[in-house]
Amino acid sequence: MSAKDPIDLKQDRRQWLKTSATVLGAAVLPLSRVSTDALPGESQSAQASSAGAPQAAGGEAKSGARFFTPAQHTLIEELSETIIPADSHSGGAKAAKVADFIEQTVRESTDDQQKTTWREGLRLMESMSQHYNGKSFVDASAEEKIAVLKVLSDNEQMTELPEVQFFHELKRLTVRGYYTSKIGIHDELEYKGNRVLMEYVGCGDPTPPTT
Amino acid sequence: MAEPEADLSKKYDAVIIGSGAAGGMAAHVLTTHGLQVLLLEAGKKLNIEQELRSMEWPYDNANRGGLPPGSHSLNHNEYTIRRPPYGPGFEKSKNLYSYIGNSDYAKNIVVNERDNPYTGTNYAWVRARCLGGKTNIWGRLALRLSDYDFKAKDRDGYGENWPISYSDIAPYYDKVDLYLGITGVKENLPYLPDSIFQRPTKLNCAEVTLKQGIQKMGRVLTQYRAGVTTDGLKHNKYRSRCYGRGACSRKGGCDIHAAFDSPTGLIYPAMDTGNLTLRTNSVAREITVDPETGKASGVHFTDSQTMKDYTVRGKAVIVAASTLESARLLLLSKSRLYPNGLANSSGHVGHNFCEHIMGPYVAGQATDLVGKPPTLDDGRPGSFYLTRFRNLAEKHPKFIRGYGFEGGSGSSMFPPGTDSSGFGASFKEEIRKNQGSYIAMGAFGEVLSRYENFVDLDPLVKDKWGIPSLRFHYKFGDNEHRMAEDMKETAQEMFEAAGLKIIFVSDRVLTEGWSIHELGTARMGNDPKTSVLNQFQQSHDVKNLFVVDGSAFVNASCQNPTWTIMALCWRSCDYLADQLAKNEL
Repeated sequence: MSAKDPIDLKQDRRQWLKTSATVLGAAVLPLSRVSTDALPGESQSAQASSAGAPQAAGGEAKSGARFFTPAQHTLIEELSETIIPADSHSGGAKAAKVADFIEQTVRESTDDQQKTTWREGLRLMESMSQHYNGKSFVDASAEEKIAVLKVLSDNEQMTELPEVQFFHELKRLTVRGYYTSKIGIHDELEYKGNRVLMEYVGCGDPTPPTT
Repeated sequence: MAEPEADLSKKYDAVIIGSGAAGGMAAHVLTTHGLQVLLLEAGKKLNIEQELRSMEWPYDNANRGGLPPGSHSLNHNEYTIRRPPYGPGFEKSKNLYSYIGNSDYAKNIVVNERDNPYTGTNYAWVRARCLGGKTNIWGRLALRLSDYDFKAKDRDGYGENWPISYSDIAPYYDKVDLYLGITGVKENLPYLPDSIFQRPTKLNCAEVTLKQGIQKMGRVLTQYRAGVTTDGLKHNKYRSRCYGRGACSRKGGCDIHAAFDSPTGLIYPAMDTGNLTLRTNSVAREITVDPETGKASGVHFTDSQTMKDYTVRGKAVIVAASTLESARLLLLSKSRLYPNGLANSSGHVGHNFCEHIMGPYVAGQATDLVGKPPTLDDGRPGSFYLTRFRNLAEKHPKFIRGYGFEGGSGSSMFPPGTDSSGFGASFKEEIRKNQGSYIAMGAFGEVLSRYENFVDLDPLVKDKWGIPSLRFHYKFGDNEHRMAEDMKETAQEMFEAAGLKIIFVSDRVLTEGWSIHELGTARMGNDPKTSVLNQFQQSHDVKNLFVVDGSAFVNASCQNPTWTIMALCWRSCDYLADQLAKNEL
């Protein structure tokens, strides 16, 4: 893909949705790493939950009842790192454990639509990666990953499309998770507040010492 | 923190309903006069420091400072497309809050909408039922009114004048300043009188750019006048001075109480006099009346936890439940003597409902600050205020009255600019480099007081305690919409004049109620036929009944009301104590 060659998302998606339908029809997901996992969104905990079984309480829930499969978790790590990557200034979404934040947020959500957005969105990202790069998203190079998300970013106003909805949701939770993390607040932004300062800081004033 | 059980068998000198800015002030003034006072609060007494946790880092919070799962706060879109009561359609959320309840620090301060339904026209009604009410999380902008407001009818012929002038209330503004603390800078503006200010905050460089840029237009930008003690208060052991710690822009209150709140600023000191009895979880249902004298005899209330009913007697009853709740309580207090509700021979209770219109704003950037090292901007209790300029010397052709802008700028704990498009390395770098350069401001404009904007009781819907709900009949009018157009234009014009890069300009008007400045439902006046209260917030009809909150306002002005509510209340309670001593109630 080059800049001279803009993507027509609505045209393109017919093709990769076809691919996706074929793959899904065979009940095999284009997740290369862990083929023995339960299907995305159909993990043990989701099944138990939909069957009305009580959720495990407290710390148990955190370790034992994950919403995303390990493969999906890896995919989210790669997606979020593509949204906010590590650079020479600070760590990125992966170092800030944004995928864990997303896991918790979606798992605890009482909004079924949000859960669907994530399940379906992860499938669609895989289909798009297969279509554009010929390989799974997690196996793609950094440039190839960027190329997939750029298709969505360039078409971000097409909010009727589920993959665009997913892109906005991915970006929203990545931003929230990252800029509320230690890395985001202290390393990246070098936030100066939340400590006792003896004097207000005005235009031209040096940052005063803290106590 | 258990209080001694309130003695409900004795007759108090005064029973106050509500513990926010008005109720707290009434408690302070009346106990200082030596009166025996009972203060009833509908909500609970929260362990407020545990709620606010001003210094908590988001990563140390289970939900990064957001609402826990199963809780939802209404957003603008939902207020727009749905009609009250809010509840149906949100079954997935156990707790449903107004828009201000969208953080882990404010969620227990605002009410659960489901328990407290209201009906009628769309309205973002923010209610805080707990000790101190909305003062626990208020925006802290503490402005005075002037005769441009009190005598606005003399200037443009619209509405009514207040029964007082600035000179009547100025000494009481001074008392409030000194007792509670306020930060700001003297500007000598006739339309926005100065307070007795403590140490001011400082403007950052983007704000200085804007201030200088609009000076040639004759417009004034000043430091946010915040109801925050920056030098400390020797007479109050419950409040610390402001230490500029940061995260002041986070929705939630101030856990060291440098920012004024009613419990530490007014109620705890009042309890220390030994003259105040507090009873929380006490939902007032009716102000009772002595059928012989026609005077208020006390308050009938329900314990919100046990659901048991009680009646307590008082020589005077002081209503301070908030503008809309006070109107509701007066309308609920129907009797053979007062079939239209108490203090309502004029038919004006619930009417002349007014507030501030919000929405139009401009967001921009001081591009010379891009890439500069981060500064501490949210360690100030507020950023800036751009004062009113319309209909002062010249008349605007399209609307009457005025508006001011509240602004914010610079770095904050959660960075501005994350809603820009794109992703990846450049997205991340731009957020970092731009974070200190942003500046934005939104307008607050006067909504005219109109008889046809009103609330009444819903004939069918009731709250959790079986009390009839309030029904809204309220819309912004043409004057407000024409003013909103002007807000957008002037916001843009001032950013351009200052050479700020404009990122976004909006003329979208937010849902009615968004300002949380509802006023006017029991207005003061000299004529009992067209007003509910006299100049001392005393009912024209019932001499021992006072309504001391924002419902007494004759017009909304465009200034934030809390400081005026407290100054008026102080004046009225001085009068009340004097009248009680003379046995003239």
